[in-house]
Amino acid sequence: MKFIRPRLRKPLLRGIAGLGLAGAWAIGGGHARWLAIVIAIVALGNAVGWYVLAGNDSDDAALLGSRGDERQKLVGLKARALAGVVAMIAAYTGLLITLAVKRSDAWQFAALFAVTAFAYLFGLSSYGSGEPDAADDTDAGYGQRSPIRY
Amino acid sequence: MRNQIRERRIQREMSQLALADALAVSRQTVMSIESGRYLPSLPLAFAIARFFDMTVDKMFDPEGEEAGA
Repeated sequence: MKFIRPRLRKPLLRGIAGLGLAGAWAIGGGHARWLAIVIAIVALGNAVGWYVLAGNDSDDAALLGSRGDERQKLVGLKARALAGVVAMIAAYTGLLITLAVKRSDAWQFAALFAVTAFAYLFGLSSYGSGEPDAADDTDAGYGQRSPIRY
Repeated sequence: MRNQIRERRIQREMSQLALADALAVSRQTVMSIESGRYLPSLPLAFAIARFFDMTVDKMFDPEGEEAGA
């Protein structure tokens, strides 16, 4: 992604995602296949709109333009964390409802819930919650040498 | 946590945008730090203190309370 201009990265990804949706709709066939063209046009317009918005002077625009500073990245991280939690709750709610109403459809929500739950556990193991490192001052005698008294 | 960024910036007759450019952060982040809504990372705190020729503990007062916080 480094070779793509920062401001272009996320709008480009959104455009590609929209075109993917249009492609899936077209492959799905049916009498409303023409809607794929509408979806593609909306997706491209959306990507252009995001690109224009990314030039503004705001936190959202900085994140959209991939040029956020540490605080803005933290805001983005919190927003993504919230989205993950909401997705997990939505998947679990859907699982409960389908189990009660139409059990044969429950696997879809179970799969979504499992993916979000595993992503959370993967995040814990990747970002620091593992076996804690042993303290390195066990036998070093730091306690005797330190001028600090507690 | 209180800090002296706003006072020092005004002393130097700098705008928030100019300070933001000097620190390579956004104007919104300078505003947030000045108002005490955001505590900067240690590297940014050092960069701010160095920019104003101060030490971090002089620039940021952990005992102080922001008026707007």
